[in-house]
Amino acid sequence: MKTGNEQRDTLAAPAGRRDWLAGGWALFWENPIGKIGLILMACFALMAAASFVPPLLDPMYHPMHGVDPEISHATGPSAAHWLGTDFIGRDILSQLLAGARIAFMVGLSAAFMSIFFGTLIGMISGYAGRFVDTLLMRIADMVMVMPTLLVVLILSSLFGQLRIWTIVLLIALFRWPGVSRVIRAQTLTLKHRPFIEAARVTGASHLRIIFRHIFPNVLPLALLYMTFRVTSAIIIEAALAFLGFGDPGTVSWGMMLQWVWKTGHMFQAPYWLLPPGICISLLTLSFYMLGRAMEEVLDPRLRKEGESE
Amino acid sequence: MTVGNRTRAALLLLCAAVLACASAAWAKSRHPLRIGLGEEPRTLNVWMASDANSNNILSQIYQPLYRHTPEETEMVPWLAAGPPEMEADGVTYQVRLRPARWSDGSAFTAADVAFTCRLIKEFKIPRHYSRWKFVDRIEAVDDRTVRFVLKEPMAIFLTRSLTIPIVSEKEWREVADAAKKQKKPLATLFNHTVERPLGTGPFVLEKWHKGAFLHMKKNDWFFGQGLRIGGRLLGPFVGEILFKIYGTSDVAMLALKKGAIDMYWQGIQPGYIENLEQHPEIRIFSSERSALYYLGFNLRRPPFDDPALRRAAAVLVDKSFIIERVLQGYGSRMDSILPAGNEFWYNPNLTEYGEGLNREQRIRAVHRILKEAGYRWTRPPVDDAGKVQPAAGLRLPDGSLMEPLTILTPPADYDPHRAISGLLIQQWLRQAGIPASARPMSFGALLQQVKARHDFDAFILGYGRLSLDPDYLRIFFHSEFDRERGWNMSGYHNPEFDQIAEASEKTMDLEARRLLIYKMQEIIARDVPYLPIYLPREIEAVRTDRFAGWVQMLEGIGNIWSFCQLSPVN
Amino acid sequence: MEIRRYILGRLFQITLIFFVILTVLFLLFRLAPGDPVSRMVDPNMTPEDAQRLIEQLGLDLPMWQQYLIYLKNFLKGRFGISFHYGQPVSEIILNRLPNTILLFTSSIVLAAFVGVFLGKIVSWKKGERIDTWVTIGALVCHTLFLPWLALIIIWVFAYWIGWFPLTGMISAEIWTDPSAGLLRKGLDIAHHMALPLTTLFLIHFGSYLLVMRSSMLDTLREDYILTARAKGLDEATIRNRHAAPNAALPVITSVGLSLAFSINGGALTETVFTWPGLGRELVFAVSNNDYPLAQASFLLIAAVVLTANLVVDLIYAYLDPRIRY
Repeated sequence: MKTGNEQRDTLAAPAGRRDWLAGGWALFWENPIGKIGLILMACFALMAAASFVPPLLDPMYHPMHGVDPEISHATGPSAAHWLGTDFIGRDILSQLLAGARIAFMVGLSAAFMSIFFGTLIGMISGYAGRFVDTLLMRIADMVMVMPTLLVVLILSSLFGQLRIWTIVLLIALFRWPGVSRVIRAQTLTLKHRPFIEAARVTGASHLRIIFRHIFPNVLPLALLYMTFRVTSAIIIEAALAFLGFGDPGTVSWGMMLQWVWKTGHMFQAPYWLLPPGICISLLTLSFYMLGRAMEEVLDPRLRKEGESE
Repeated sequence: MTVGNRTRAALLLLCAAVLACASAAWAKSRHPLRIGLGEEPRTLNVWMASDANSNNILSQIYQPLYRHTPEETEMVPWLAAGPPEMEADGVTYQVRLRPARWSDGSAFTAADVAFTCRLIKEFKIPRHYSRWKFVDRIEAVDDRTVRFVLKEPMAIFLTRSLTIPIVSEKEWREVADAAKKQKKPLATLFNHTVERPLGTGPFVLEKWHKGAFLHMKKNDWFFGQGLRIGGRLLGPFVGEILFKIYGTSDVAMLALKKGAIDMYWQGIQPGYIENLEQHPEIRIFSSERSALYYLGFNLRRPPFDDPALRRAAAVLVDKSFIIERVLQGYGSRMDSILPAGNEFWYNPNLTEYGEGLNREQRIRAVHRILKEAGYRWTRPPVDDAGKVQPAAGLRLPDGSLMEPLTILTPPADYDPHRAISGLLIQQWLRQAGIPASARPMSFGALLQQVKARHDFDAFILGYGRLSLDPDYLRIFFHSEFDRERGWNMSGYHNPEFDQIAEASEKTMDLEARRLLIYKMQEIIARDVPYLPIYLPREIEAVRTDRFAGWVQMLEGIGNIWSFCQLSPVN
Repeated sequence: MEIRRYILGRLFQITLIFFVILTVLFLLFRLAPGDPVSRMVDPNMTPEDAQRLIEQLGLDLPMWQQYLIYLKNFLKGRFGISFHYGQPVSEIILNRLPNTILLFTSSIVLAAFVGVFLGKIVSWKKGERIDTWVTIGALVCHTLFLPWLALIIIWVFAYWIGWFPLTGMISAEIWTDPSAGLLRKGLDIAHHMALPLTTLFLIHFGSYLLVMRSSMLDTLREDYILTARAKGLDEATIRNRHAAPNAALPVITSVGLSLAFSINGGALTETVFTWPGLGRELVFAVSNNDYPLAQASFLLIAAVVLTANLVVDLIYAYLDPRIRY
């Protein structure tokens, strides 16, 4: 697999980056997929921001602890609860809003961490070559064959309920190899470019070369990957929570689905079952679309693998 | 190419249509009783089976000597012909057996009973051995008479020991002999695969299609057929039973509404009831349970080593709120370790902590209790003006700040009730400044932490299917059981209690024993090592359009009496 | 020969990786709190009973000894006895594996087939409305939350419209009917498989479509396509005979590489549809602390994914001799 694709020089040339960015943006916005993705994501960001409002209005709108004093079972939409209440009288809308916040948090931080590990390892591996390269790439191979969801499931079941941050970290730890491979390939092609050679001749340290010269050139690719990692992180967290292995102290969409399921409202409270599922699907869709559009701007041929996530 | 694809698409559609029609057209010529199970049974090896689903199947096959009637008031002879006759020495019992046959037609004899009991003793079979180790000898006097000689008089012999399922010597003799020669006899016995269990019950296993269903047929040799036991005429009147496996209750409920099953053999969440009640063919049974759901404290370390704090927690926990909100009203509050339904042994005059108080009154009461016990706050829950406020900075009587503590609960997918109760209790304790946080964790890890490592502050657990005999009071709180994997998980030590508990085990006179059991409940309610919270009801749903005759008893309708009495409608 | 050395090297690496996974797995399951014995909540279970059971299960031995036994048995092909079922693990896996293979491969093959076909069509109409809509449709299908989708599908097609059975793999009524022939039983399985198959298909075909589409677009820029055009061949021939076979290769590799991800989805689907397969068994074994069964099923999955990766590597190495480590 692992590539070896020729690079376009647009990425490597430091001059004209601003033009390139502007042109890229125009290309991006032209693409209906990118536009839809961005608009969808803006909606969810608004939701996440709005999640702070309901608990301020009335303590009964607290997504976790607030219960309506009048209601003690699942009810459909009403004036006080626009999306209805769950089985102990908590407001579904405020849970949904809080869920958006958690989803962003989980998605972005897990993706950021996995990209961080992936980029770092990829650059080191590609730059150092030889033994270090082989070792790191073998480890990458090993981690890559693990079905992340099942691994995190096993860990979570073995070590008791995991906290949300542990879950985020675990997702990140199992999602870096794909990125590091692509970054490594990119680094390999950069390594022998004249401007790197020039830096080496002038006596720049390895660290400086990696961060000053290689890093800026792999950054767009890393950012592209990040959007895809956000998608997979959100899905994994939601699936984990759905199966009952999430962090019970947080109100995530997966958790909401788990509550619907385990309290027996799955097939009788559509107002409770549908919103979280739709939100998970749409939010992951928006990040995915964003990634697709960015990819078309960058170069479709940069990416040959990891298409499925 | 395009035409080819169109043809292919058309073919696919046709296939789907044929399948749909075929499913609609399948006429049902037979009328099996169809029952949904929540999970696949683990095993058909009766010694290994400790899960509900295996026991559901095996209870149709292996039968005990005595069993409780649905009214639960008395034990009736089942495989036995009459009540056990105790000899004057008080330790020798004689039991006459009914003329019965195994499902292959061979005779059921006293030798089988003696073999079963000896097997338990020889292999020290977990879960059974503790009820048989005080039996000294078991003899088959003749084909139909067994004699048991005990080491000392035991109150629990009749109710606990003589209710074990009897297996056939023919089926198990060789297995047991081979296992004894192995390095790990018990493991060998447990891992013996049973394909076709040989029993005396109303049904026999025809086929177990792994991962999909079990098929049982009526046992023509069933000893009870046509007999009247416990005032009931026994069948079975059903020719076949199909057990189908549904992974989730949601799908099982759809299956019930669709008519794919006649009964779902597992308690369901109250959330289903409203919807199910709209179906005229579906009937809901809500039955008493013999269970205990409680908050347990760790008495081995601060802060819950102080009974005052435990009592304060007891006042803060609003049991009625949990029952109304979390159980949706399908349950009742518990104040004793014994369920109130166990009328003979239940002590009705116990302290009802916090009963009838509202939130604010509870906080005030706790403020009083804790202040008297020497606790201090930087910001007390009740200010000088007498107003309730958020508390902070709780200090123990020795002046140290109370460390954050955790309440362990099973995860929500295992039991949403306990997980949510944990969250509620966390909030209530915090109102008095007790820095509690609920932490659901996987069931295995939770038990390991509580039972084996004793590393916890508090936990919420439950026991289901507690025996009617209250001997478990002793097992839960006698200091002898405070050790690794012992059932005294709180680490409760009270010499006075131990003494009474030991006496209760051996007192044969019912009234005298009742007084001891009363006293034990009183001590526990005073010291609160466990805070009993709620007793949920068993909610089960059945279809009424094909079969009738479900017998409701303690723990629900899934019992042998139902299966012996059910008959097809029309 | 160069290629032979490369294959041997990869084989060696894969074996090494496999043993690392084996060891990590062993350590994980042993270090974790919770054992099968402590799960038995029954007041009749005395501490002595529990201790006896732990000894019988071999859990009281020192860890290194357990590990050696584990390795020895593994090399002999013995995976131990499931704590939960009390049956040899290999028997349980052999019982479940065919069901998983049936569902999994048929859904992947179907998804790849449809994905390649549609991808080919839309790449030909790049930029047109149909391209945009099909691409968006594929994206939507691909990002749907699987367990939720599965539940909705059950609700609509199995309950509301009622065309299909709710869950499971076979219906007890038919399989206990002595008059039912092989055909009827086969149809019964197909009938049960329709919904889980649809679920997995929907999730997968989108990604294959997208890969096919971009791969087609790349191929169309190649010289030989231009040559074919210059020769005056008609568009359909160029598309189907010249471009598509080459463009489909990345789809095959993508199937191989995304296998680990697909297995996640497979396990979720099996769980929701109560499909008696390996994925569901693994999830179940994990929550029951059934180490031998969970270990063996996970190892099997890892072995399958590793092999798939190897095959993909070899295809690449065969096609592009420049690639070497």
